Amino acid sequence: MKLSGNWTGYGAAVAATGAATLAGWAITPRFDLVNVAMVYLLAVVVVAYRFARGPAVLASVASVAAFDVLFVPPRGTFSVHDLQYMLTFAIMLAVGLLISGLMDRVRRQAAERAALEIASETERIRSALLASISHDLRTPLAVMAGASSALAASGERMSAAERNALARSVFEQARDMSDHVASVLQMARLETGAIELERDWAALPEIVASVLDRLRERLAAHRVLLDLPGDLPLVRVNAALIEQALGNLLENAARHTAAGTVVRVRARQEDRQLVVSVEDFGPGLPDGDLERLFAKFQHGASESSGGGTGLGLAICRAIVRLHGGRVWAERVPGGGAAFRFTLAIEPAPQVPPEPGP
Amino acid sequence: MSGLRPNVLVVEDDPDIRRFLRATLTADGYRVVESASGRRAAIDAGTHKPDVAIVDLGLPDLDGVELIRRIRQWSPMPIIVLSARTQETSKIEALDAGADDYVTKPFAVGELLARLRVALRHARRGPGGHCLLRLSTASVDLEQRRVTRAGRAVHLTPIEFRLLACMAKHLGMVVTHRQLLTEVWGPTHERDTHYLRVYMKQLRDKLEEDPMQPRHLITETGVGYRLVAEEEGDFVGEDGN
Repeated sequence: MKLSGNWTGYGAAVAATGAATLAGWAITPRFDLVNVAMVYLLAVVVVAYRFARGPAVLASVASVAAFDVLFVPPRGTFSVHDLQYMLTFAIMLAVGLLISGLMDRVRRQAAERAALEIASETERIRSALLASISHDLRTPLAVMAGASSALAASGERMSAAERNALARSVFEQARDMSDHVASVLQMARLETGAIELERDWAALPEIVASVLDRLRERLAAHRVLLDLPGDLPLVRVNAALIEQALGNLLENAARHTAAGTVVRVRARQEDRQLVVSVEDFGPGLPDGDLERLFAKFQHGASESSGGGTGLGLAICRAIVRLHGGRVWAERVPGGGAAFRFTLAIEPAPQVPPEPGP
Repeated sequence: MSGLRPNVLVVEDDPDIRRFLRATLTADGYRVVESASGRRAAIDAGTHKPDVAIVDLGLPDLDGVELIRRIRQWSPMPIIVLSARTQETSKIEALDAGADDYVTKPFAVGELLARLRVALRHARRGPGGHCLLRLSTASVDLEQRRVTRAGRAVHLTPIEFRLLACMAKHLGMVVTHRQLLTEVWGPTHERDTHYLRVYMKQLRDKLEEDPMQPRHLITETGVGYRLVAEEEGDFVGEDGN
């Protein structure tokens, strides 16, 4: 246990003894001395339960001393006439030591279990990563190898349309795979802190327009509505990273909702922060802890319908946190999901006004 | 401009990428000169006098940015940079060093060919060639400094006009934050990106049909802006595809 933790423990031992003394004073007129001893025992048990052995011993000693001096006649002295109070002391000390010892063991076991859980979580992520690589990369590789070898071997005997379709599938698979590899690398960089956050003043509507442009094909089947006030303040962010975070939320919404439904991007200024939301009108979110959605390789309910790397939301969270913001999911009443994140609003520097015409 | 078929210098160390670039460019009517290294490219650029250069930023021997600086010392030929996603910083350095546009790997060749066409049109136009631009229902006469939208005169402030003119000078190509800030506000303001955010919004409010989803004043996130507009008059029919 750390030294600072120890001092807190000793402080608590003194405080608990003091509290027991006050409680003892309050009950003495009507109760036996034995009950006062019980109050002190309770103090010892609480200290032993919360803290280590040292504070427990201190609480025992202080309790017996206080009990003896303040309550056992003759008051104000240490003279112990009655041997039975020596027994009280021995029992308090024994209880203190016993409970602090027990708690020590419980705490140690809890720490071991936590370490084991971390190890198994690491193992889960490692195997999920391997599964992700083997499935999400090997399938497109098989398509690319097959389609391109078919083109090389018998392209001349195919119709132009067939050749074109094969070539297109090679391109599309390669593009998806490249996105996938980029996601895995990005996640690794975000986790190891290898990304140096270069911030600059950015306008959220520009970031939104840019990401919608980039994802035009992937969002083509959905109706995207914008709800962005015209007077949003500038934010000091890494625009490329925020664009990526927002893009991941949009791709996620498109992947989990039916074609033709609405995906809405909105932003609101709330106090000193900007709340950016991506809302959809799809099947909604799975039961249970919504925070889990942001874990790595945590596929949503409709995994089979969607594909995706299982990293999109995790990357989004890492980027928002890197900016000191918060990201969360909400169930929308009547079905649908909302993913929201915050960005701090800092006072923007002045733009000198232009002299009028 | 030498002959009808433009001459492209391809600077790329990877032979497979060179191969597909050669195949596409030749099929699209270009003559291709290939350099597998930066030093070789610096020489080839001098001897072959290409009309346009495509430069990969990840060259083994010479930094792509350095190559661009060397070429820029003596030639205004358009330069298009090929960059990987992990080369964001050097991409911006390359653009600030004089490259005209970029394509991020992996790319579809259609995108590269489109950038090439814009770059060659720009080179053909020469400095201050075009003067009439159309942005959907808005038209801009850069010489007369007159802007109309749906037939009505639109007033641009001097800074708004300078900003628009600076982008128009690189019509269709990316202009970095630093380039815009130094040209419009001066070198002491090269880091005042918030000026750009504010004035670009004003320009969009005046010129775009839907300022929230602009089709002409395009944001290149983290890099700069791109003006996409049709030219009126001058070059009709010169660029067939």
